[in-house]
Amino acid sequence: MPKDFRFLDLKVNDAYTNMAVDEAITKARGEGKAPDTLRFYMWTPSAVTLGYFQSVEDEVNLEALERFGFNLNRRISGGGAVLNSETGEITYSVILREDDPRVSTDPVESYHLLCQGIVEALAILGIKADFKPINDIVVAGKKISGNAQIRRYGAVLHHGTLLIDFDARQMFGILKISKEKLSDKLIQQAEDRVITIRRLLGRQIGFPEVRDALEEGYRRALDANLIKSELTPYEEELVKQFRARYASREWIYRR
Amino acid sequence: MKRFEFKVPGGKLLRAKVETAYGRISFIQLTGDFFMQPEADLEELETRLMGSPPDSVDSVVKSFFAENRTVIAGACPADFIYVVSQALKA
Repeated sequence: MPKDFRFLDLKVNDAYTNMAVDEAITKARGEGKAPDTLRFYMWTPSAVTLGYFQSVEDEVNLEALERFGFNLNRRISGGGAVLNSETGEITYSVILREDDPRVSTDPVESYHLLCQGIVEALAILGIKADFKPINDIVVAGKKISGNAQIRRYGAVLHHGTLLIDFDARQMFGILKISKEKLSDKLIQQAEDRVITIRRLLGRQIGFPEVRDALEEGYRRALDANLIKSELTPYEEELVKQFRARYASREWIYRR
Repeated sequence: MKRFEFKVPGGKLLRAKVETAYGRISFIQLTGDFFMQPEADLEELETRLMGSPPDSVDSVVKSFFAENRTVIAGACPADFIYVVSQALKA
């Protein structure tokens, strides 16, 4: 029997609002004031989001960030720096209660489950992808989607990004890629680590087609009855509060 | 400032930045793309290491994780010991 999920369809916001919305839903879900939720979103302007434990100076070339006109933000979730390009990716989040029987206490199992929507979406587009522990989805060994989870307020927030297109000049100009990080991957070039939907399909697939595949992919993976809706007034109020924190230098440069 | 970074095989990247003064750790920052919950545990671990002599890193880190129910993905306590110890030797 499919379970009801609130579906917040693709919307475009800046990085501070996007992160505030994810946290607002997570808090409201944990408090029982919001339902299980699937959210799709995009970014304008483009942004770099750092994992909670990363330091700005280690990960970001600030001169290039400014030159390309990107925002900088920090997630509440761990994991690595992500380049959230306004023209090259769709971001999604799934928010469930922490005690939901579908969510394992084991982090890797929990990633596996909540990444399945992306694996299904790619299959719909004709791409065979696999979950790669801990938090990646790969196609023939190359990363196409990165994900991060956090448990807070009694809820689980799983968010991640799916690469549609990719500007190597931007990504490797802005992000400092550690040589150590490449060391156990048997590859010389950072560019070889990632792949995009457009490159795999060899055509300029549009965002609506990817969005439709994502919706269907998550419907299947979560056995969900997706009900289109909006944020509640309570969540909107939380977004305002949280956005101020996400936009603060104190938050962004905390490490 | 002394630094060391380490990519855990099959896991995540850890970095340590340390300074010592009078035989004690006077500054430490641990960063990386690992996952840790509760997140505040990382700052508490740093606080615990501050003021410790370098040869006590192993016991401080082990006892911290033994006392706390920290969930880490992409690294384990031994990786934190390794990266801090190597940074101190750098």
